[in-house]
Amino acid sequence: MARRYDSSTTTFSPEGRLHQVEYAIEAINNAGTCIGILAKDGIVMASEKRVTSGLLAPSKSSEKTYKISQHVACNVAGLTADANILIDQARLRAGRYEYQYCEPIPVEQLVELVCNYKQAYTQYGGLRPFGVAFLFAGYDEHYGFQLYQSDPSGNYSGWKATVIGSNNQAGKSLLKNEYGSSSSSEEEEEEKEGEMKVEGAATEEISMPDVKGALRLAVKVLNKTMDASASSSEKMELYVMSLENGQVVHKILNKEEAQKVIDEVEAEATPAGET
Amino acid sequence: MSILEYNGAAIIAMAGKDCVGIACDTRLGAQAQTVACDFRKVFKMSDKIFVGLAGLATDVLTMQNLLKFRQNLYELREDRELTPKVFSNVLSNLLYEKRFGPYFIEPVVAGLDENNQPFLSGMDLIGAPVYTDDFVVTGTATANMYGMCETLYKKDMEPDQLFETLSQALLASLDRDALSGWGATVHIITKDGVTSRELKGRMD
Repeated sequence: MARRYDSSTTTFSPEGRLHQVEYAIEAINNAGTCIGILAKDGIVMASEKRVTSGLLAPSKSSEKTYKISQHVACNVAGLTADANILIDQARLRAGRYEYQYCEPIPVEQLVELVCNYKQAYTQYGGLRPFGVAFLFAGYDEHYGFQLYQSDPSGNYSGWKATVIGSNNQAGKSLLKNEYGSSSSSEEEEEEKEGEMKVEGAATEEISMPDVKGALRLAVKVLNKTMDASASSSEKMELYVMSLENGQVVHKILNKEEAQKVIDEVEAEATPAGET
Repeated sequence: MSILEYNGAAIIAMAGKDCVGIACDTRLGAQAQTVACDFRKVFKMSDKIFVGLAGLATDVLTMQNLLKFRQNLYELREDRELTPKVFSNVLSNLLYEKRFGPYFIEPVVAGLDENNQPFLSGMDLIGAPVYTDDFVVTGTATANMYGMCETLYKKDMEPDQLFETLSQALLASLDRDALSGWGATVHIITKDGVTSRELKGRMD
């Protein structure tokens, strides 16, 4: 089973794999789920809050969502201690770029900087990799709203919608079917009718949801990936990034707002007419 | 010629009743020659914190960027806003880091603390702070400004009166200093907001 190639990060196995990196990725698959969805007018990130004990002091800020700079935020899945180091690095690099160039760091450049930092731990030093995967949500004037996923190997990719953490495969398959074709309101139904006629001309066109639609989709996916059958606003954290007067706005939905979205999704699931 | 007198500047910060005011001239010179008349030396760091940086212009701009960087980092890590006292300490720390190759600036910090009470501090170029409850001055016309402030200042001035006093003190000081002048800006900070005004003075 090539166990002797497991312990050192800096050695390839005969099959050309880095086992330590793969084990790090495994560690993340046990962590609380995080979903990211790109919308027309913003980005939605939903995460499962794992409360390990009722005795835990309530945290003043989030344990899943972190602001990196005015225009970038991220969601974490994996070892929180490892994440804290990387988040601090990300904040420093974003700040240094802005100090040097007097303009906000382009999102992809920031993601690449963090990923290069992670990559170093897979090649030098004999240290273990970081056991964290990130979802970066950001806005810049070059490419608008962007969503990136990064993993312990230092690899990253841009996504329209993605899931990390436990049950991410189930989440991803749901997103594959539902993203770009979700319609949950009557107006959207009518719009879709209009679109259907044009569909013949264009090949597979994915229509991006708006933030409200993305929120509903995110909750739907979270319902699927979370263990407990009952979804409540205590167990999930909903974050929205949007633009207001040209400025990026970060918002974590409060209990009432989150409950409203959860209720809307539940109403969808039980169609009207059923008692 | 001292490096701190190369570009020219004049800044006064004054405390009033539940308010602070900070004013600066807007001249940028290269010794005797005037290069610009819209170079402001007072920067808003937040609704409740203003900083005035007098001295070498390049260091003024650099320090402004550095302070913004440190402020952002603080707010991201601590998830709360900087208070004027802490901001003043950050500035003092930044300056002392360069103890043996300093930034050529002499700053003043003016703001409202958590209870909306006025906060003033001044510093030398290596970060030695002084905290006062009446006024702080810095720049190339400090002798003039000290005289004017000492004479015109009264405790517990309301925002409008503070504006008058601050403006008169600054304007009179500028006129007797060759290196400062060419326009002036005044900011009055209260818990309800900031009022900024341009002063009309001698453009020489």
